[in-house]
Amino acid sequence: MYELRCESLEKSFGSFALQPLDLAIQPGEFFSLLGPSGCGKTTVLRLLGGFEQPTGGRIMLGDRDITRLQPHKRNIHTVFQRYALFPHLSVFENVAFSLRLKGLAKAEIQLRVDEIMSLTEIGTLADRRIHQLSGGQSQRVALARALVDQPAVLLLDEPFSALDPSLRVRVREEMRTICKKVGATFILVTHDQEEALQLSDRLAVMKDGRCLQVGTPKAIYEDPSDAFVASFIGPVNEIRGELAETQPGEWTVSSAMGTFKVRKNGIALPRDVSMLLRPEKMRLLRQRSNTQENLLEGEIQDLTYLGSRTEYTIKTHDNVFKVSEAELERQKKRLLNRRDRVFLTWKTEDAILLPQSAPK
Amino acid sequence: MKKLVLRLRDWPPSAWIFFAWLVSLSVLPFLIILAMSFAVRSESGLISWTFTLANYERAFHLVYLKVLAKTIFLSLGATITCLLVGFPVAYYLARATPEKRQMGLMLLFIPFWTNFILRIYGIVSIFGNHGLLNQTIMRLGLTDAPLEILYTRFGIYLGLVYNYLPFIVVPIFSALEKFDLSLREAAMDLGANRWQTFTRVLLPNVREGIAIGSLFVFIPMMGEYVIPDILGGAKEVFLGRVMVEQFFTMQDWPFGSALASVLSMGLMIAVWVRMRFEQRKAGPTSHGLR
Repeated sequence: MYELRCESLEKSFGSFALQPLDLAIQPGEFFSLLGPSGCGKTTVLRLLGGFEQPTGGRIMLGDRDITRLQPHKRNIHTVFQRYALFPHLSVFENVAFSLRLKGLAKAEIQLRVDEIMSLTEIGTLADRRIHQLSGGQSQRVALARALVDQPAVLLLDEPFSALDPSLRVRVREEMRTICKKVGATFILVTHDQEEALQLSDRLAVMKDGRCLQVGTPKAIYEDPSDAFVASFIGPVNEIRGELAETQPGEWTVSSAMGTFKVRKNGIALPRDVSMLLRPEKMRLLRQRSNTQENLLEGEIQDLTYLGSRTEYTIKTHDNVFKVSEAELERQKKRLLNRRDRVFLTWKTEDAILLPQSAPK
Repeated sequence: MKKLVLRLRDWPPSAWIFFAWLVSLSVLPFLIILAMSFAVRSESGLISWTFTLANYERAFHLVYLKVLAKTIFLSLGATITCLLVGFPVAYYLARATPEKRQMGLMLLFIPFWTNFILRIYGIVSIFGNHGLLNQTIMRLGLTDAPLEILYTRFGIYLGLVYNYLPFIVVPIFSALEKFDLSLREAAMDLGANRWQTFTRVLLPNVREGIAIGSLFVFIPMMGEYVIPDILGGAKEVFLGRVMVEQFFTMQDWPFGSALASVLSMGLMIAVWVRMRFEQRKAGPTSHGLR
């Protein structure tokens, strides 16, 4: 098991440029590269796989510099976006492909292929042709094929995007189980934040060829380093205002909507700040409450019942807020309807403070 | 019978055209040739319709078997050469930009805008003893005597390759065009070097195109008459020439027909065997270990 490191890895082609990237991915870690299309995540994956040559920097696997190594000499395998299974071979032969190239004995190939096929639950498909497989089965075959010769690192290129949405969540859970059993390092490329949050030990959020933040799902969700990361990883409500220290250690943000208490963590902030609030961290009150510090009055413009939660769109006098309320919370209160007057509130520590980004 | 008639009525017009073409220009002529091959040549060179197997007895005589072997040998050699030259050409075209691809395919077939006979004589003017090639190398002092290319077996081979090359490129090109490049990356990713990627992934996936292209050129080569006649000279015999000779010089239509039937049947059997083989492969596979 080796640590995989990118050291100021660069790549430019056409108008795209991957800014010097430094990453250290721990052995056995499930790491995701998350970002919108064109952010450079796939480029990083192709550099790691050896399909592209970087224009600068290097890639280290343990103590070994693998930057210039050909794809077939790297102990890194890829699960391709559309799986790229060999149509002229059976499922068994697809999985056995890398072992055959190594010239292993028949008995050993049989043993190892059987083992990985039972782990990925495709044992019954051994004799099938590739065109006879469903999407979910193809994905397992691709995974088994990439895992069978025990790579140090497995690269997953949007492996769920070709699946039906209804299938995705289940397949993701199974994938996570398999990954934990195998113990290799996994690197997932995705534009789906839910996928990244569900699967990753840590993830990197990328945009325009730049890595914006690296951290655990929790850290990135709750403590995003900038407004893009905050909004990409999940929906947010934004209040723009001016930061002021009213008393030593006590900070407020004054905005057109009022003045709100905030908790300032160590980082230096300019005067103009954005206060970001996650929909599920906001609460709805029927009546004005004097004990609540942060209060906004508004009217329910729209509500969507989603079973486990209800999503509200609340219009205040000059802003629109998204609020998500767990069903449990909702049951305690009288049902709310469209056009009801409500008060919005949140805990001071749940507000995320960031420097104001340029207006959109 | 009634069922068949009903079904014939359900055929779309396109099927009728195909059917009419098949029967009138392919099946019927073949049956006529087949019938003639069992007939006897009359003294005056006409056909006398008495059943005999003598033509076939003669056709399998060593002299003709040698001609057949030579024809197969030359056609096979030319087909393999077409394959070796045509594959890289098809590969380049399949990977080129759409504009380059269109241009390339057009250039490939531009020679065919010229009459076939003229093109063959074009070869004569290049490779003949007083042709461009020999004149050039003699002027350069590379040889004293001209290279004997025309009127040899090599001349026929050269003509076959030149004339049939474009026809093998097209089926291979379309197979390569459909080939998913990510399969190549997948093979390399799993540890295959360039050669292994080529032999284990690329070739098996375009095998069908290669087989069709090879048949496309091999079959007409076997029956080729003009190329060996013009480029082969008097001493080089080729099955097509022998057949034409039987029909037009010797006036022995029944024997010519027997030779033609042997060739056609042989090719049909070969194609049929190949198709059966393909069908078996396309079925459920076993991976060789179980």
